[in-house]
Parts: sequence; structure tokens; C-alpha cells
Amino acid sequence: MPDPAAATMDLPRRDARDKLQGRTRYTVDRGGAGTLQAVLLRAEVASARILRLDTAKARSMPGVRAIVTAEDAPGRHGIGIADHPLFATGCVRYDGEPLAAVAAETLEQAEAAAAAIAVELEPLPAVIEMAQALTPDAPLVHPDWRDYEVLLAGAARAGNVAWEATVVRGDVDAAFARADVTIVDSVFRVGRQNHLSFEPRAVVASYEDGRFHIETSTQVPWSVRATTAKLLGIAPSQVRVTVPAVGGGFGLKFDCALEPFAALLARASGRPVKLVNSRREEMLTCLCRENAEIRIRSAVTAEGEIVGREAVVLMDCGAYGGEQIFLTTMTAHTLGGNYRLGAVRLASRAVYTNTAPNGAFRACNGVYNTFALERHTDEICAAIGMDRLAFRRRNVLGDGDLGATGQVFEGDVLGPMLDKMVALRAEKPSRAPRAEGRLHGRASVVGTWFVFVGPSAATVNLNPDGSATLVTSGVEIGSGSMVQALPQIVAAELGLKPEDVVVRTADTDAAGYDVGVGGGRTTVSLGAASTAACVEVRRKMLKVAADMLETAPEDLVLAKGRVEIVGIPGSGVTIAEIAARAQSLTGPISGSGAFTGPGVAAMPGCAAGHFIEALDIPVFAVHDCEVAVDPDTGHVEVLAYTVVQDVGRALNRRAIAGQIQGGVVQGLGYALHEEMSIGPDGRILQSGLETYRVPLAEDVVPVEIHLHEGAPSIGPLGVKGAGEVPILNVGAAIACAVADATGRRVQELPLTPPRVLALLREREGPLELAHIAKDWREKVLG
Amino acid sequence: MTALTVNGEERASRSGPMTPLLDVLREEFFLTGAKAVCREGFCGACTVHLDGEPVASCLVPLGAAAGREVRTVEALAAGGLSRLQQAMEDHDAVQCGMCFPGMLMTLTDFLRHTPAPTRAEVKAALAGNICRCTGYERIVDAALDAARSA
Amino acid sequence: MAASLADAVAALAERAGEGAPLAGATWIMRAPLRREPAASAYVGIARIPELRRIDIDDRSVAIGACVSHAQLAAALAPHAECRALAQAAGHSANPAIRRMATVGGNLSTSAFAAADLVPALLCLDAEVELQIGGTGERMALQRFLAHRTSLEPGWLLNRVIVPRRPRRSAHVRLPLRRAGDYPVAIVSLAVEDEGAVSVAIGSVEPVARRWPALEAALKGDALDPVRAAARAADHLDGFNGRAGIEAPGWYRVEVLPVLVGRAVAALGRPA
Repeated sequence: MPDPAAATMDLPRRDARDKLQGRTRYTVDRGGAGTLQAVLLRAEVASARILRLDTAKARSMPGVRAIVTAEDAPGRHGIGIADHPLFATGCVRYDGEPLAAVAAETLEQAEAAAAAIAVELEPLPAVIEMAQALTPDAPLVHPDWRDYEVLLAGAARAGNVAWEATVVRGDVDAAFARADVTIVDSVFRVGRQNHLSFEPRAVVASYEDGRFHIETSTQVPWSVRATTAKLLGIAPSQVRVTVPAVGGGFGLKFDCALEPFAALLARASGRPVKLVNSRREEMLTCLCRENAEIRIRSAVTAEGEIVGREAVVLMDCGAYGGEQIFLTTMTAHTLGGNYRLGAVRLASRAVYTNTAPNGAFRACNGVYNTFALERHTDEICAAIGMDRLAFRRRNVLGDGDLGATGQVFEGDVLGPMLDKMVALRAEKPSRAPRAEGRLHGRASVVGTWFVFVGPSAATVNLNPDGSATLVTSGVEIGSGSMVQALPQIVAAELGLKPEDVVVRTADTDAAGYDVGVGGGRTTVSLGAASTAACVEVRRKMLKVAADMLETAPEDLVLAKGRVEIVGIPGSGVTIAEIAARAQSLTGPISGSGAFTGPGVAAMPGCAAGHFIEALDIPVFAVHDCEVAVDPDTGHVEVLAYTVVQDVGRALNRRAIAGQIQGGVVQGLGYALHEEMSIGPDGRILQSGLETYRVPLAEDVVPVEIHLHEGAPSIGPLGVKGAGEVPILNVGAAIACAVADATGRRVQELPLTPPRVLALLREREGPLELAHIAKDWREKVLG
Repeated sequence: MTALTVNGEERASRSGPMTPLLDVLREEFFLTGAKAVCREGFCGACTVHLDGEPVASCLVPLGAAAGREVRTVEALAAGGLSRLQQAMEDHDAVQCGMCFPGMLMTLTDFLRHTPAPTRAEVKAALAGNICRCTGYERIVDAALDAARSA
Repeated sequence: MAASLADAVAALAERAGEGAPLAGATWIMRAPLRREPAASAYVGIARIPELRRIDIDDRSVAIGACVSHAQLAAALAPHAECRALAQAAGHSANPAIRRMATVGGNLSTSAFAAADLVPALLCLDAEVELQIGGTGERMALQRFLAHRTSLEPGWLLNRVIVPRRPRRSAHVRLPLRRAGDYPVAIVSLAVEDEGAVSVAIGSVEPVARRWPALEAALKGDALDPVRAAARAADHLDGFNGRAGIEAPGWYRVEVLPVLVGRAVAALGRPA
């Protein structure tokens, strides 16, 4: 086995130089001479019957080469349920839904033709808010929901409830009926968050020799392949997906998006076709982090034991189920996470509305459930008169404790991390003086997340010059996993310098299946598959070397591009020599490897409608922040921010720190600045960066970062994903600190200045969420 | 035809006078370093130097650039990375990379006029440059480092 | 691209209301985002020398319409009595936009309620010089703001004239983030040595305006931030805050007292 300590740490990024010189060609920079430009014609009404869609005039306009509509794409796709057609079919379900796609010689010609398509729509009643969608006589977003193909059985569904996942463990009624408990009831609401990846969704597609080639800005090349095929009604093997450098993803590109439109247009026109979303389209139809509404109740003893907990989470999936169907699964592990619970029941419902579909966004579901859980925890502490840190230290999950679905957690991780944070707080004086007359607040909060494992494949080819080529379907979206962690892992396994490991960009024709880049899984899953491939390569290399050196393979070690006899430096041969030798003797050396999650067990019968019943690799985080709140304007300034993060083992501390700083700042945007509102007509109001405010340089602080190593992990070299979890606790930390500063009950995010001033001046009563009944049984289907 | 100087070279564009300079650079001259991200002057990803001053090229009509000198990120590295570019690489500042062309054009000009800036001054200079990946601090560190090593 | 003021006026007249002047272009280039049709023709005025000048003499500062925010901030830096205007020009939007956006554009764009220069110029009693047809006309800025949407087509803003008087002034803007935003409320305040106070409010209502009730209440007062804020709180009745995506109307009005207090605190010592 190679020595993990010998692995190269802090490898610089190989893609930085070109990115700094403006030379990197993202998908938006591609599409050479002869490429047609495409646009989508989108509906501008939330709900309507399509009476007529006439493309005849548009087809005869100058430069127009192809127009495709619902007739060209018969299939439906989805997660859990196949409810989503490519084009609005029969009716329009959200403002922005595509009606037709046009390809022309120039963008202006395509736009002119799209505008010339005759559309007749008959408006239908729309449901815009979840409360409205859940009323008994609400119009159904999908009247034919019963007829849809079900892709995963076992979940309850009905009307506008697209999916319901439930967890029931223990006797919750008995816990709440105990005489010695205090019952704390909290409700919370959060809005949507737009990823605002700088590169919008973009694709260049062509059709040659009966196959599609899709070059696209995605995190999931294999999902694009499968979904495009399903929508077009063709075999997945007819689709090849390649991925250049991706200009930011954050989960937005964890789903197929524009690719099938471009593919259809390419086949129809016989020309390469480029389709790029405008920023307005990205703002209005982005697969946002969903808006959500949460009721959580707990029965807690005076000593601080949580004997019972129940919760309902409503997640707005918009007009189609999409990722939210899957994400109902996560409530068990996020809202049901962090703490030891006596008895528990949770319901997580994805609700259809006539609004733009939502999707996946970094630590999806976890960000707002952690906000709700941690604010609820502080409300419990206030109700029973217990110190917030002491309560958390008493209740956080430790070795052998049961999670919400009955999985047994391994190792004491959160407890020692919390101790570390307490020690850090004691080391430094409070920043209260820097509040300068404003209200000072502070909070330390905990969070539970996971690594989304799942299948990955890797091939490693040993080249005659002594370098190695790693072939996977992994994508570099900016996090550095593909340019730092993976070459570091392969180099360590093969005794090479990381610079001598070539990393092939994603190509579904070249590499095996992969779930995609997201869920913090690249370093773990692709890393493990790469490690397995290296094991085979190493075995073959050592066999050849053993013959060359006339010794046994067990007596050989790999290091610095050479194979040496143990204990005799300089005795061996170079890897290049082995590669050349092997080529002439046995043919070139290569190895392949695969990985998937081992499947940690949940307690049987606890969970229904779940895609993941237990976490293979849990990841924990503790965040602390101090804020100053301006009592006159409601502005919240972050004075200090500290993170203790469980990373398993840090392979590239610098890269991890970069992810933590970036993730925390994205979380600050969610907590303080980034508001998305939906008008009464169902259209998102923030159509650009003037109104959608992400943090600027002056809004952020340097995050103090402490990595917690040594927690159990099945990842290669003991690693865990580090890029997703940094955003998890931020909404919670800010909300709890603002509540601490103001003494007000913070129930909503983002805490924009107007919202904070309204809280301070008590302009509105507390949030009630009357549509989530207090009796748990009344609000669940299953 | 509209004549202008791009990265020291005389060029002529066939585009109309109201075409954004950004599109002329990207579509006609294949200088795709400058990025179209918001097209409203808030993100800074399309920043180029016009007669030596950083401007949002998405809001500059070609007609207003006629006869003037345009410099893009592609011309920053002359025979090697500039000091600022090198500092960005050394600090492992880059992530997805889409904002860097604009960040570099803004900061290159800023450091020319403010050779010994404070951290707060660097941050204020970046009021029109958004980064969605990095959380800014490392970009600021690199800029301060580039100034110190000048 | 017009070479002189006369050419520009002639070109606009020729197009009889179908053409529009184009200077910094930062508003007009965003017309597609607002889903507005473009004008049929634009007359470039950015290179007309007299529109790019700032003339400062003992009595006034005359600012050409095509002077950028950045140029204005730099030119006014040594002139303490114009501090409100220098602060407005030096902190609006972001650095790149300040290099491009012009004084004339800021004043002429009636749909832009959050313009920084407008309240700053209002509190400094600025006047504007217009070219209408062949003739020049001078009017108080307040009057121009009231009439700018109903002027006969073909007019062109030529210069803005700010009288120089011994006074202190300050411009306080409240963006939702610390920088790089349009402000949700603006208070510009000027105090003459004789005690006259002028206060102008921007971004709160669709058009910036003076606050006569507060000006009267503060006249002759020994200005103190806390007391000034309290007086402002007593005189909020007349405001009808505009609802926007970024902030509700009540918020824009309720923050005015603290902004008035900050403006007073920012005035600095009497000269």
C-alpha cells in the first residue's frame, strides 16, 4: 500500500493559468464557424391551455434553419415520477415554460422568428403558493398525476402533493403526552436562492453519423445522456456528452437542462446548434433552492433531553417534481439530524405550484432545515432555561447513537468539534466593541450533512513516457476536485508526480458511468474508483518490474516515478521503462476501477418514500458568528465567522479553505441578501443583478477555518467531500446570532434590512403557517 | 466599418454602432476572455480597458469605442503572467474562473493608481466585480501581495 | 456621433422626436433588459468638447452634461462647499459605471428614481441649461425634474450650474449592501453660514425632491444629529415611499430620520 503521508498536499491548480489569461474556453465560448444560434420561445403566463401554436410563418423567415416543438419530443422525465415533458404539452404550467425552440444563422434571426410564432393561450386558474396548492379545492397543477410513470415506488402522492417521504420511529404520542416535558412549537419560512453561476446553462450540440454529440456546461454528463434519450425517445447510446470547463455549478447543473432542445435542433437542421440562456432566463427559470415552510415541535425534559420530535416540511417543487422529489429524503438527515432523539416522526412533502421548477443547490434542503432546527433549538433552550451550548453539547449525536431513521452513528465527531469551538471562543475576545452602539449578537450552531456516494468508474492508462492518464466522467466545475484531489490521489497510488497524471475531461464515450459532480462526492467516489484502477495498474507494473529486477513484487516500492527494491534506493527502474517494457511484452498497462456506496443500514420500517434511508458518510460542521445589527436601518454586519469542519482527512488544505470561504459567503448571501420573490402572477420578480443581490467584497469577512480530521470515512485515504458542507450552517448561524442580538423571534430568511427593521419594530405579528396543522396526522398522506 | 485599436492592433468591425463592445470582442475578434454575465454593469466580468480605464464593455456601444484603444485580459500577460496574475495563481485564488478576467482588469488599473492600498481600499475597488465561488478574501490577499511585491 | 452642440441639436431636430441623445450609454444599453424598444436613432454627444467641461469660477461650478461621475468627483475634491455632490458622484453604483455614466444622463433619466446626483444637486440649488431648438434655456433643477417628461422632443441638457456659496454639505445614501447598490434612500443636506438649511431626498419617491417642512424646522437650529433626526421623524407625513422589488415604501420613509442624523453628523466643522 502506498503511504498516505507521502501524498502531495496543496497541489496548485493546473487550470489557473489559462483562466487568468482569459484562454479557457467554457461552453459559452464554443461553437465555431457554421454553428447555428438558438433561442427558446417561452410562455409568459403561469397556467394556461395551449389552443394554438403555429410555426408556419416563423419557419419561412430569413436565416431560420429549424423549429421544434412538443411534437418532436414525446417523452417525459423526472426523478421518482416522470412528470416533465421537454416543451409545455397541452398546457402551460409555469411562467417561462418552453413552447418552441428556434435555430437560425444569427441570434437576431432566431429571436425574430421566435417572436413570429403564433401562440394562442387560454388562461387557467393558477396556484402560486403552497398554502393555496394544499387547499382541498385547489386547481391541480397535474390533473393526470395518477397516470405518470412512477420511477421509484413507495411514496405517498395525491393531487398537488407530488411526493411525501415520512419517518416514524418510536412512540411520539407517548413522548408528547409525558407530564415532565415542555413542548416547544416553532414555524419557519424561507425563500428561493438562485445559484447565479457565472456561466449560464449553455450547450453546443451536433448530430453526425446517427449520433448526437452534446458539448455542455453540466455537472452530470450521464444524466444529460439518459434524459436527452428519454425525452427524444432514442437509445441512450446514441448520445455522447462531453464537458469543457464549467463556469460554476453549485447544483444548478445537476440536471439535464437545455441539451435536448439543442439536440433536436441539430438533428432537424443538420448543423451544430448553440443554445445559451440569457441572464433573465437564468433568473426566471433557474432551478433554484426551493422555498420551504417548516413546522417543528419537540417535547423536552427540564434536563434537556429531547424525548419526542415531530416536523412537517413543505418544499415547493414548482411546476414539476424534479430534484425536490429526491430531496424530501434529506429532511430525515438534516432536520432529523444533529441530535439524539427519543421518538421521532417527520414528513417532507414536495408540493406542486404553477411556478418555475426548483432544483438542487449546494447542501440542498439542509441549509434551511439546519436554520429551522438550530433556531428551534434556541427556542427550546429559552423555554427550558438552558444554556445553548450546554444543550447542544448534551444532545449532539455521538458514537453508537441512533439517527432519525435508526442508523447507528459511528465515532464521536460533533461533540469534540463543539468542544473545539468552545475553546476557540474562549481564546479570543468578543467583537462586541466593534458593534459600536449597534446590537451585538453571537451564535454557535451545528449541522449534519453527508457525502452523496453512488456509482463511479475510472480507468487509468499507463503511458510509455511514464505518465498516467485518468479517464473518468468527472467534471471540473471550479471546486478543484478534478485538478487537485484526483491527480493527487492517482499520483500517490502510482508513485508519480501529480503533474504526470493527465486528467481526461468528461466524455461519456470514453469513461464509464458516473452519478455526477455534486454532493461532495468527487473526491470520495471518483477518488475511490481511481484508487481501484490504480491498484490494478500497480499490480501489473510490479509484475513487470519484478521480472526486470529478478525479485518478488512484494519486495518492490513505488516512489518518485521509479520502482525500487525495498531498502535499496537507486536499485530499480523508472516507471517509463516499465511501461515501455510492458508494451512490448504484454501490451500497454491499464486498469479500471469502480465504486459505489456500501449502503449503511437504517432501522427497517422507519422510512417511507426515501431515496436514501441512511447516510454512508455523514459530515458534520460547527459554525460560530458574531453580528452587529443596526437598530435604525436593520442592516446586519458580520463581525467574525469561524468554522470547524469535519473533513475526514485533508488532502489539500488550501483548496478546502477556498471551498469553505466561498461556501460561507454564498451562505451569507442566502442568510442576508439574496431574496427571490414571486409576484401574484407567478413570475419571479428579480430578473437580474440589480435586484438579486449577492454578497460583494465589502460584505464579507475572512472566515477563520479549523479542519477536524480523523472522523471515520470510507473515502480514499480517509477523505470526505469538503466543498458542499460549508454553506450548510450559515443561515442558522446568522439567524441565531440576529435573534440573540435583537431578542426577536427570527422565523424567516433572508434577513434583509427591511425584514430586520420590521422585526425590530414589530410591524407584523409572528409567522403562523396555519396551513400546516398542529396535529401531525392531519398533515400527512401516508 | 468601425475602426478601433484592440490590444495594440488596428482592427475594424462590421457590427452596428449600438452593438455592445463586448459582443464585438467575443463574436467578431474571438477574444472570449471578457464574459457576458449580467449585461447590466453589476458583475464586472466583461471589464476591459478603454483608453486605459476599466469600463463595463457590455454597456459600451461600438460607436462610442470608435478610434479608441481597447485592452482585454488576453493582453495582460506579456511574455509571462503579470505580477497580479502570478499572485492569483500563487494564492490558489481561482475557482471556476469566469470572474477573473474582469477582476484582473479592474485590479490592474486600481493598483496602478493605488500602489500601496489598504485591504478596505481593495474591497471598495471591487464594488463592481462579483465572484460567486471564492468569497473574495483570497482575491484581496493576492491583490495586496501583488502590490507589496511591486 | 455629433462633433458640436449645434450638430447634436440639429441631428435631434431632424429626427423630430424619433432620435435620442446618447452619452454614457449605461441606461440606454440596458433597454433590452427592461424590455423597452430602442429609439430609431441615437445621436452620440459624448465627444462634444463643451459638454465635457467643468468650469469653476468664484460664483459657480458649471458642469457639462457629458462629464462622468468619476470626473466630477475628482474635479470637486478640493471644493468643500460642494462636498455633497462630490460624495454623490464618488459613491454611486460602482467604479466602472462611475467612469461611464454622465451627469446629463443621471438627470435626464426620469425612470431612474435612485439617481445619486439629483438630490445632491437639489440641495445645492443647482440650475440646468437646456438647448431647446436653437435656443438655450436655464431653469431651476426642481422645475426641470417636474417638466422633463413633457418637454418638446429634441431638447438637450447642456450644463448644470451649481452656485458657489460658503456652506457645508453632505450626501448620505443607504444601499442594502455596503457597496455597489442603488440606494433605497438618499439624504443630501447643505447648511449655509447664515443658518439656512436645505435638505433633498432621493430614491424614496419616484422623483427626488426638497423637504421644505424639515428645512423650516431646522433653520437657525444649532445642528445636532440626534435632534435633527427627531425633527425629521416629526415631519415624515408628506412622504409616500415607492414600493420596489428591493424595498417596501414604508422602509424608505422610516429610515429617513436616521439618514438625516447621519448627514448632519457628516457635515463636518463650519469653515
